[in-house]
Amino acid sequence: MIKKIYLIGNPNVGKSVVFSRLTGVQVISSNYPGTTVEISKGYLQLGGERIEVVDLPGTYSLESTSSAEEVAVSLLKEYNKDEIAVINILDSTNLERNLLLTLQLIEGGFPVIACLNMCDEAGHRGVRIDIGKLEDILHIPVISTCAITGAGIKLLIERIKEAAAVFRDRLTHEERWKEIGRIIEQAQHLEHRHHSLREILEDVSVRPVSGLIMAAGVIYAAFKFVRFIGEGIINKFTDPLFINFFQPLLEKLTFHWQEKGFWFHLLIGDLINGKIDFKQSLGLLTTAPYIEFGMVLPYVISFYFVLSLLEDIGYLPRLAILLDNLLHRLGLHGYAIIPVLLGLGCNVPGILATRVLESKRERFIASTLICIGVPCVPLQAMIFGLLGKFGGFYVVGVYLVLFSLILILGTILNRILSGYSPEFLLEIPPYRFPPLTILARKLFFRIKGFVIEAVPVVLLGVLAINVLLYFRLFDFVTGIFAPLVNGLFGLPKQAVAALAIGFLRKDVAVGMLAPLGLSVKQLFIAVTLLAVSFPCIATFIVLWKELGVGDVIKATLLMITVSIILGGTLNLLILR
Amino acid sequence: MKKISLAQIKMNRKAKVIEILGGHNLQNRLMNMGVHKGRELLKLSHIGLRGPVVIKVGRSILALGHGVATKIIIEAE
Repeated sequence: MIKKIYLIGNPNVGKSVVFSRLTGVQVISSNYPGTTVEISKGYLQLGGERIEVVDLPGTYSLESTSSAEEVAVSLLKEYNKDEIAVINILDSTNLERNLLLTLQLIEGGFPVIACLNMCDEAGHRGVRIDIGKLEDILHIPVISTCAITGAGIKLLIERIKEAAAVFRDRLTHEERWKEIGRIIEQAQHLEHRHHSLREILEDVSVRPVSGLIMAAGVIYAAFKFVRFIGEGIINKFTDPLFINFFQPLLEKLTFHWQEKGFWFHLLIGDLINGKIDFKQSLGLLTTAPYIEFGMVLPYVISFYFVLSLLEDIGYLPRLAILLDNLLHRLGLHGYAIIPVLLGLGCNVPGILATRVLESKRERFIASTLICIGVPCVPLQAMIFGLLGKFGGFYVVGVYLVLFSLILILGTILNRILSGYSPEFLLEIPPYRFPPLTILARKLFFRIKGFVIEAVPVVLLGVLAINVLLYFRLFDFVTGIFAPLVNGLFGLPKQAVAALAIGFLRKDVAVGMLAPLGLSVKQLFIAVTLLAVSFPCIATFIVLWKELGVGDVIKATLLMITVSIILGGTLNLLILR
Repeated sequence: MKKISLAQIKMNRKAKVIEILGGHNLQNRLMNMGVHKGRELLKLSHIGLRGPVVIKVGRSILALGHGVATKIIIEAE
């Protein structure tokens, strides 16, 4: 009687894609090892029964050597072996390395069914696998699938019940590799293929000189592309919609509203020159939707489009190799670029992704640096929107300040924290070009996640601001922090409210700065401080869960110190 | 034939693993990824002087930190 089904396999063999196919639960899948850092669960209807399916993080072996692997292995032992079925997912293009885990699973007495995934790609690469032969040798069901297109999944579901423990002698590590060599010889046939363009590109991207040139090109193009799509959506779509359609509608509806009391203030906000100004009015129906849908969402779409594309192609691990030297100086290794890039979208998944790093020390450094120096898309979009009109120089300036901060802080943390950071050891996936439907689905999933999480908080934030401002409740807090903000940072005392709201959401906070009529210098300092000081509440909660109380307090003290020093320094250094 | 570390040979050279120095954990991790005694590999790239090393083992491409590369003792062809 099967009570649970586990999906287990080496990193980056497409477990999450198979999981989505089996359960209909959408999870993020990418072309790099370690995409799945959280355990996903879903259900599969099997013979009229609803059975739980668990997607385990990738592992090379049952003798776990990292924390993600430990989690996978301990979960596997939660139930009796006769109550579970284990679907071992293998990469058909790299059968040899994948068989190690398969042998260990069989030897361990688990009821295993082998799923040879990516069979189409194996075909393209001239890898022919004799499925029947493999079944004969291993004595377990073997099914060939292509999870991206769905081929073979039906057969896999039909045969899950055939999974049963078979006896196999326990081998030592060396014997096992020899055994694998024998299996490969019998069941796999390689056709010789000439170097394809893809393989040449794969090579070029990891060589010292050509790799760096390519990386510079990719980063530049990615940045340009994000701006191009984001601005395109704003200029061609959202701005016309808000200004030509939504604004006249709102004005018509509120035209007869003579007494501009509390409710008017709450819903519409202040009129600028007798008209609604989406950037400055600060009402629940004006600025709140405009910030989220008119300024931030276009960039969320463009950023995640470009990031998802890079993820699925498999470029990110190559970038990790090239950046290993630099990140080593910060007490991290190359793979830390993955959490940093995810953090550029939203700090929450960025901090979760620090689980790909092995030691607690690395995870502390990476999480703290992400909180301080990596601005999320909503914040960046607002920086573009507000600071951009004074010239690109200032926008680039914010990035330069944040980047220098990461370098300086990382170097210091690496020096003062005890312990050392482990070395880089990573498998580099081949380039893959997934169908656009897969990319579109992932993009939609991420955008949906953003809208669901952001919109309520933004509305709440704008509501809170209006209530607090209307009843002058901010005055007390403003009074306390005014000397610091005014004297040290050179900002007007109303900016205190904006900085405080930054704890709720960064985009709303920048939105609050808009009506204050700040000078370029003040705006520059304020947005930089918003990036550096406290992370937003969502990030803070994840940080707490991931690091524990002690480290969160350390990280928070660091953020406050850095903000004060940075704000003061910028105020002194920038002359106008 | 001489025995040197993976960090010391040039790019595009083939080599055979003789010994893996370092702790049990590192040996296991490498073993699980297919790098073990007697295994042939190709050094694809080496970034900078003390940077990571990229190798091809079987059908996988692996990136190793410089420190790991110095612990893999090989016999170069």
